[in-house]
Amino acid sequence: MSWTPGDEMLVVQRASPPGAAGGTYRAFGETLRGLKTTMSRLVEGPKTISYPEEKVPVYPRFRGRHRLHRFEDTGLEKCVGCSLCAAACPADCIRVVAAENTPENRVSAGERYAAVYEINLARCIFCGYCEVACPFDAITMGHDYEMSAYNRTDLIFTKEMLLDEPLERTPLRGEGE
Amino acid sequence: MPRPAPDTIAFTVDGLEVNAPAGMMLADAAKLGDVEIPVFCYEPKLGEPVGACRMCLVEIEGIPKLQTACSTPVRDGMAVNTQTARVKEAQEAVLEFLLINHPLDCPVCDKGGECPLQDITYGWGPGRSRFIEPKRHFVKPLALSPLIAIDRERCILCYRCVRFSQEISEDYQLVLQERGADSYVSTFDGHPYVAPFSGNIIELCPVGALTSQPYRFRARPWDIEGSGSVCLGCPGQCNVEYTVRDERVLRVLSRQHDGVDDGWLCDRGRFGYQSFHVDERVTHPLVRVDGELIPVAWDRALDEAAAALGGAGSDSGALAGGKTTNEEGWLLQELFRGALGSPNVDSRADGMLPRELHAALHAPALQATVPDLEFAHAVLVLDCEPVDDQPSLDLRIRKGVRRNGVKLAVASSRPSSLDANAAAVVRYAPGAGEAFCAALNGALGESDAGPGSATRKGVVEELAEAAGADADAVRALAAVLADAGEDVVIVYGERLTHGARGEDAARALLNVCGRVAEAGHDGAGLLEVPAGTNGRGLREVGVLPNAAPGLAPVSPVGLASAELGASAAAGAISALYLLHVDPLRDLPGRATWRAALQRADHVIAHADFLSEGLWEYATIVFPAESYAEKEGTITHPDGRVQRLRPAIARPDAVRAEWNVIADLSKRLGHDVSVLSGAMASARVFEAIPFYAGLTLDELGGRGLRWPARPAAAGWPAADTGPFGLETPPHAPTPNGALRLGTFRSIWAAQEVEVAPALKFLRQRQRAELHPVDAERMGLAHGDRVTVGSNGSRVQATVVLRSGVPEGSVFLEAGIAEESASELDGGGLVEVSPQ
Repeated sequence: MSWTPGDEMLVVQRASPPGAAGGTYRAFGETLRGLKTTMSRLVEGPKTISYPEEKVPVYPRFRGRHRLHRFEDTGLEKCVGCSLCAAACPADCIRVVAAENTPENRVSAGERYAAVYEINLARCIFCGYCEVACPFDAITMGHDYEMSAYNRTDLIFTKEMLLDEPLERTPLRGEGE
Repeated sequence: MPRPAPDTIAFTVDGLEVNAPAGMMLADAAKLGDVEIPVFCYEPKLGEPVGACRMCLVEIEGIPKLQTACSTPVRDGMAVNTQTARVKEAQEAVLEFLLINHPLDCPVCDKGGECPLQDITYGWGPGRSRFIEPKRHFVKPLALSPLIAIDRERCILCYRCVRFSQEISEDYQLVLQERGADSYVSTFDGHPYVAPFSGNIIELCPVGALTSQPYRFRARPWDIEGSGSVCLGCPGQCNVEYTVRDERVLRVLSRQHDGVDDGWLCDRGRFGYQSFHVDERVTHPLVRVDGELIPVAWDRALDEAAAALGGAGSDSGALAGGKTTNEEGWLLQELFRGALGSPNVDSRADGMLPRELHAALHAPALQATVPDLEFAHAVLVLDCEPVDDQPSLDLRIRKGVRRNGVKLAVASSRPSSLDANAAAVVRYAPGAGEAFCAALNGALGESDAGPGSATRKGVVEELAEAAGADADAVRALAAVLADAGEDVVIVYGERLTHGARGEDAARALLNVCGRVAEAGHDGAGLLEVPAGTNGRGLREVGVLPNAAPGLAPVSPVGLASAELGASAAAGAISALYLLHVDPLRDLPGRATWRAALQRADHVIAHADFLSEGLWEYATIVFPAESYAEKEGTITHPDGRVQRLRPAIARPDAVRAEWNVIADLSKRLGHDVSVLSGAMASARVFEAIPFYAGLTLDELGGRGLRWPARPAAAGWPAADTGPFGLETPPHAPTPNGALRLGTFRSIWAAQEVEVAPALKFLRQRQRAELHPVDAERMGLAHGDRVTVGSNGSRVQATVVLRSGVPEGSVFLEAGIAEESASELDGGGLVEVSPQ
């Protein structure tokens, strides 16, 4: 059964097709107008950034992949495993399992430390709330934005990965750049 | 004692007119008008307020100074202001003061996120501190006990924990040491605070000063979910809330129910959850092949079990342990009576009571409730030790005595922890409960007939002697019960009605009850402490050899547990079905049961742990659910039907047990058509006349007492006495030997042995002796001895207790090694040094 549109059908009104002169102008005139911009920029040389050999420097407040920090003097982790980042996270991508420091195994400066600290970067929306929530400045948003992986589970970053220096550092945009 | 029924008065709080019961504390009464007054030290559960923290200061018109709302009762026409500048200033000052020495380590504190100090500081605090001086420092954290960590820096000296120890659990261990700013909570001389109820102070602490060691740093409040259910550890059936993270129970909190637990938990219930998640747990069906239990698929285990049961037919028997729910119990008796035609099902440990006596002992007219203990004129604790058998009752009885002047009488053979609170104490020989009841009945009759009536006089002496008790003490106890008033509650242990003479003991008990408690009178009657958690429910759903569901008559009558054991040992029983029970551990007569398990062709068990009897003799083991995984209903000793809800998923291959039993029943050709837990509950409510009309929704989270519903008329009528009784037999005369009494302590449980946090409480056999007996035998405290009788013997360590009656020795039953159930004999044992 064929469909009858009834009264609700809209009638599309089109302009009449251009004539020979109009068609020619459309084909060449408009193209030349566009090429004018191209030609005038030609003298400036190419602007292409050949990523990944070359990278765009990021601004200091760029929110890239998270980093966990250690105290520089003692080497202890700043994170005490308080889970406040997990509480603040709107994407629910942080998982913290805490444990207690012992004299033989002192990991962090406080009584507790994060035995498991995982961020699922496949879920992370890079809002930076975790950084704001952290009472010890243990987690900050880094400048790394190269986080593609062949496997989703590879995007779950563990504590060791987050504590390590990124393999290749992202260039930082300087003052006034 | 009638419960207080205060008048309603009207007062204004912040200009709002509020009605409240007279005498209610202002802090509580203001809540009725939706006005919150912040408090730290005030906790109505702890009794009288102390006004220690000063957080609740309010302005009362007509009183020049600010008053503490927690210790000021409301009066008619009182006008209270909680929002004036003066109150605000006081609240801010108090909080600033409390925070002076409080470390701001909330990120590492376990209380962070659920901390009253945090909440109140946000709500009422000054916002900034002027204090720049160094804070007070203590060593932290310290172990107050293996279960509790104390952080003294965080303590705000609210006295809650100390009050709990001094006035609620009355273990008198926690004290506040030093004075002023140096004060700290401690035990005398720094001894660990180990007590049956110590865990409650963790929940009471309004800051993070007292934290649970097993829960330490496990999760934060936003990582977890709460899930309400009922604890299956003991007949107290306390309402609990499981803290769940990632399908694991991490903590157990109290879910206050004044009709059941009053908001307290014992440490076994609070920390026993660890046993749900240990490696020892059975999580796959096991079948014995070539002498070894190997994990198999469900189908194979069920097929083999069905074949074994089908082959055995009526030569089979089933025992249900206390942790069985009503649904599982009902399905079990359906499986045995319906599918196998075997009447041998039992849930009691020892002996068989006639149906009429079950009906009489639990008649709704004679049934006392748990709150009745608090408001009774007198309470008789008979042949049980509440702190071991049903810990929540211990606190309830102490509360009644302390706050409402309940007269407490204790009659038991083993010294009780309630002795110190009792107005009268009688010690009788182990196992002579019947003779004691008869003597008490005589003494009560004597006081009815007027003091010193010559005819009865000799009888009480004679019966008291038969019970091995002092006749004057029995008279004094009778006087306490007779003179107190009409509300008398008798709390008796199920073990009184165990054994060959259990029937006579039950009649003697009913005679006593008839004299002191009027049938049908609210607030008086009997309250049983069953031996198993759901002992009452299992009897009501028909897991008895002589009663069908609803205590209906049944024929033929089956074998009771002890007879079943003897019969199996003689080779007359082919298949034994053990639902949550290991006879070697839980039942008396170990030698007989060992022979029975060995002799039976098939021993099919539901168990979460392979205890000795199952490890050695079970042929098929089905993994049992832990009680956080269970679904179903259980019945409290006072008739409250409560609902269990699963808090976590069942691990590995564990299956719901109602499902397993229903499946077996179906394979054996008796389809009970139960496809879900709710259907099983519906079938139970349908099958039992006095549960008629109950629904799971109606039970809800608080349960319902069926004796208070109209359907209670379906309870079978029974004669409640008085009965004419023959003279009870004389307790055995020691004659150089010792009378053997057994007990099962609160820690004698499987979960204590497997839960890592509780392992330090694992019980080892000890022989409790009177110092005079010990001296006679040349024994000292701590000596190793052998206790023997009829060739069976048990190794034990001597513990001297002056409260133990001379000529008796007490040994523990229900423990894994050297259990007292090893000893058989006529109640007399020889104690010899090793």
